[in-house]
Amino acid sequence: MIEMIRAELFKLRKRNMTWIMVIVLAAFFCLMFFAIYGVTSSPPDRMPGEAVDAIRASLQFPDAFNMIFSTAGTIGTLLLIILVASSIGNEYGWGTVRQVLTRRGIRYYFVISKLVSFIIIAVIGLLISVIIGFILALITSNLIGSINWDFMTASYIGGLFEKFGWTLFSLLPYILLATFFAFLGRSAIAGIGGGLGFYFIEAIAVGIFNQAGGWLAKIPDYLIGPNVDALMPSSLFTHGPFASAGTLPSTLNASLTLAVYCVVFIVISLYMFKKRDITA
Amino acid sequence: MEKNGDLIVRTEHLTKCFGKLVAVDDLNLEVHKGEVFGFLGPNGSGKSTTMGMMLGLIAPTSGTVELFGLNIQNYLSKILQRIGAITESIGFYPYLSGRDNLKYIARITGGISSSRIKEVLELVELSGREKDKFSNYSLGMKQRLAIACALLNDPEFVVLDEPTNGLDPAGMKEIRELIIRLGQEGKTIFLNSHLLHEVEQVCKRVAIIKQGKVITQGLVKDLMKKGDTLQIKVNEPEKAMTVLKNINWITSIVREDDKLLIGVKADKYAEISAVLAKESIFVTEMRAKENTLEEFFLEMTEERIND
Repeated sequence: MIEMIRAELFKLRKRNMTWIMVIVLAAFFCLMFFAIYGVTSSPPDRMPGEAVDAIRASLQFPDAFNMIFSTAGTIGTLLLIILVASSIGNEYGWGTVRQVLTRRGIRYYFVISKLVSFIIIAVIGLLISVIIGFILALITSNLIGSINWDFMTASYIGGLFEKFGWTLFSLLPYILLATFFAFLGRSAIAGIGGGLGFYFIEAIAVGIFNQAGGWLAKIPDYLIGPNVDALMPSSLFTHGPFASAGTLPSTLNASLTLAVYCVVFIVISLYMFKKRDITA
Repeated sequence: MEKNGDLIVRTEHLTKCFGKLVAVDDLNLEVHKGEVFGFLGPNGSGKSTTMGMMLGLIAPTSGTVELFGLNIQNYLSKILQRIGAITESIGFYPYLSGRDNLKYIARITGGISSSRIKEVLELVELSGREKDKFSNYSLGMKQRLAIACALLNDPEFVVLDEPTNGLDPAGMKEIRELIIRLGQEGKTIFLNSHLLHEVEQVCKRVAIIKQGKVITQGLVKDLMKKGDTLQIKVNEPEKAMTVLKNINWITSIVREDDKLLIGVKADKYAEISAVLAKESIFVTEMRAKENTLEEFFLEMTEERIND
């Protein structure tokens, strides 16, 4: 199994798409930080002073960490859906799934090794995001004013690890969602379309349910997006597409709901892959 | 666990249905150790489905597949360690080089050294192009890489689905020689090919499948002799035809230039010679006509083959 995970990472490392995704990630971070800095340096006349101060604070430490994690969560979700779906779907398109399965017959090895390597890629991506975000926040903090590192206590650093963990956990349902759709449709397009489609349609549905009120307003508590939002550090700008989702579920509700989604997606993906014939 | 060391493949009542379509129907097949076995059949006859079931890619609807005496459903992983296969579509990662593709396969297979990768690349003459991306390979090079990949784990049993696809005549000859060499080394080969001339040259035994059923199987030399056709040359072919047409135990008679092809049982050959001599027609050449495998195949399947 470890060899299969290593082999999967070898493939991902050799693939241009992975590195393009890193560039997109870095570009998105730069765009976010510098665009927001641009707004704060010459704010529109009608923007209240408190709002400008809040925006400035989000570009400076310590608030910048929330900005970093929420930005990483948002762009990371989209990029991972594309990477995961294409990695699985193309195995069918290129016929490599046959090649792999005629080497290692145990099909769940194939699925699990892919999932583990995606999680490793998510961890690496998140680390890169934190590094890029940290550098950008250093620049914007210095541009806005001086940095006071007094907040950086041991407990604050522990809190940062916690945020890192929750952000990573929040990415899992989408990794598994894209996995599920890619196996279901046996193609990259099905995985990307299904994953991104679910992401955006869910956002619209959540808005409608919240507006509807009554028992319908309870439904978002059991969907993926609002629960992800509940776990992610809040930021002024990047709180996923669910920022307007009314009252967010509790951390316990969010953790359990997302864990259930993860288990369901893994079980169905494994079952489908094990039961289906590989005919092409 | 291994019931019969000599038997590499045994299928018993193997059946696969896709909905209402019966792709493979009650297939019983045996391939022995060291044999180069040809598996023939028209398009859509169930060859690839059978191969898929042998490799664990397709689950049988009923019946069993045993490889090395082990049931494939229970010992698939163990069995695959002893097999090398080229499947119908060549599956490699287009963004990896030929060598990296083999490196990847070596990693997931386990126990394959980098010197073995080099060795198989040399064997299929891809050494100079090993660092090129797979997407830049010609069809022939892709096929060679697939063969290299199939031999990577030095398998005891090699399953080859159309291994000469896309190769030029020289490449086809090389692969043919390679198959013969592998057979001589004691490897068991299961070859699926449309190129019947190629099968005829490399295979000892063949099975012909049609609509999911094995319609015949046996030694190539026996199958090619199956036709009861006598080929003769005489000094007066026209007169000979007139004489022979009146004999009721002759089933057919065809003239091909100066030769006559006579449909007759082998025990009547001497009688034909005597009948013609009585009419002062002298036989200058007489021999049983051998079918080519292609002729035999067409006769059995009643279909044309598009190479």
